[in-house]
Amino acid sequence: MQLQDMHSDHISQQFNADLEAIRGRLLAMGGLIEKQIQDALTALVEGDTELARVVRQNEKQVNTMDVEIDQECTRIIARRQPTASDLRMVVTAYKFSSDLERMGDEAKRIAKLTLKLAEDGQSPRGYVEVRMIGNHVLDMVRKILTAFARYDLATAYDVAKEDRLVDQEYKSATRALVTYMMEDPRSISSVLHMLWVLRSLERIGDHAHNIAQYLVFLVKGKDVRHAGLESFKNAVEGNR
Amino acid sequence: MRNEAQAIPIRTDINSAAYLDLSHEKVALQVEQLKLFYGDKEALHGINMTIPKHRVTAFIGPSGCGKSTLLRCFNRMNDLVEGCRIEGRILLDEANIYERGVEVAELRRRVGMVFQKPNPFPKTIYENVAYGLRIQGINKKRLIDDTVEWALRSAALWDEVHDRLHESALGLSGGQQQRLVIARTIAVRPEVLLLDEPASALDPISTLKIEELIHELKDRFTIVIVTHNMQQAARVSDYTAFLYMGDLVEYDTTDTLFTNPRQKKTEDYITGRYG
Repeated sequence: MQLQDMHSDHISQQFNADLEAIRGRLLAMGGLIEKQIQDALTALVEGDTELARVVRQNEKQVNTMDVEIDQECTRIIARRQPTASDLRMVVTAYKFSSDLERMGDEAKRIAKLTLKLAEDGQSPRGYVEVRMIGNHVLDMVRKILTAFARYDLATAYDVAKEDRLVDQEYKSATRALVTYMMEDPRSISSVLHMLWVLRSLERIGDHAHNIAQYLVFLVKGKDVRHAGLESFKNAVEGNR
Repeated sequence: MRNEAQAIPIRTDINSAAYLDLSHEKVALQVEQLKLFYGDKEALHGINMTIPKHRVTAFIGPSGCGKSTLLRCFNRMNDLVEGCRIEGRILLDEANIYERGVEVAELRRRVGMVFQKPNPFPKTIYENVAYGLRIQGINKKRLIDDTVEWALRSAALWDEVHDRLHESALGLSGGQQQRLVIARTIAVRPEVLLLDEPASALDPISTLKIEELIHELKDRFTIVIVTHNMQQAARVSDYTAFLYMGDLVEYDTTDTLFTNPRQKKTEDYITGRYG
């Protein structure tokens, strides 16, 4: 099937419109999440408490979008009884929006930690690590949204591979931060905050990886969760 | 009707039924290279498929795709159509039903059929169900009584009609009439039950009763159902075959066919797109 045809060409124009609307909402939500993560990182690195507050505010909007997408999916199931790729689209949308929403939670958490760090008035170590992993994770989020917009499984596979790298980076960053704490016990509380930030970033990477897996299910009908990178690759390349 | 059936090696390369592994199932009907012509027009183009025993197999496809035609081949109903000719074989218990000398009446006892519109005879409820037994020459009242009760119970109709068995069947509702016809069909203990749009003339509740009945009957009978209602096929069947313009386009487990079909044509049809 031509991928661009995936949600068009129904005899019912309204069904086309319904599915396109879900796709549009997911992309809009994804765009907002990308901005939230970007802003949370900027706020942290630049100590911009005003921006951190904006991120916390916007979290409400993210939650509303998540709920609306779920409602729309439920409505389509009840009214259209979707099958095949349409069914996979609806099922994917449920999961997709919930992973996006959790990414949003992590962005909010980073914003909260930024405000705490600002209150404590310390300038802790760990910014280098956060900036590196942050950029990497943000790149994954952008890529997975593009992959979804184009049903591009090769890019989705890249994201899955990159999640491995982020996991490794997270491990070595954790070690570095532990070293800082041992060197200077007075910094422990603020470095712990940075550890939480790193943890949130690593989780965002995991969510991007999840979405990459949903994308394989959407396009190929194959479930590659819990099955390792190799089967991800096989599913992307193979034709059943 | 001319019958050109003969031993033809099975080809599985030309239809997608080759994807479907039925080796764990027992075989009820085996269709081999089945072609059907109405005069010069070829309506079925070499169908190969296995109908598994004691399972529900649904045929879906747009009007004129050949699904009812194929269904009617299974008990040679097409013999009655002027100018209809068949090539290939259909094996029931490994014997070709189109072989010369096959007793068609006996075939139709073994492979019963129920149609879209309920067609009870203008007789009593009891006599409708007893009819098949009487034409087989069974006259023992006790045996007929028992069989009528068994068939009506099996068709989930007994509780509704046991106190008016000797009233006219035409007084029953459409849904009850259809279940009566099913009772009449199973009274002669067929092996295969062919259902041609059995619920399309019924209201939603009667439809659900028929679907529930199909589910209960499949332990004892092999069921093949033709339906225009895709949700119905998805609800009742274990396997689904999609036919299009006389070809078997795709044949798979119902779960797979409705979540992840292999062929674009199938996808387009079940999702309601232009084909």
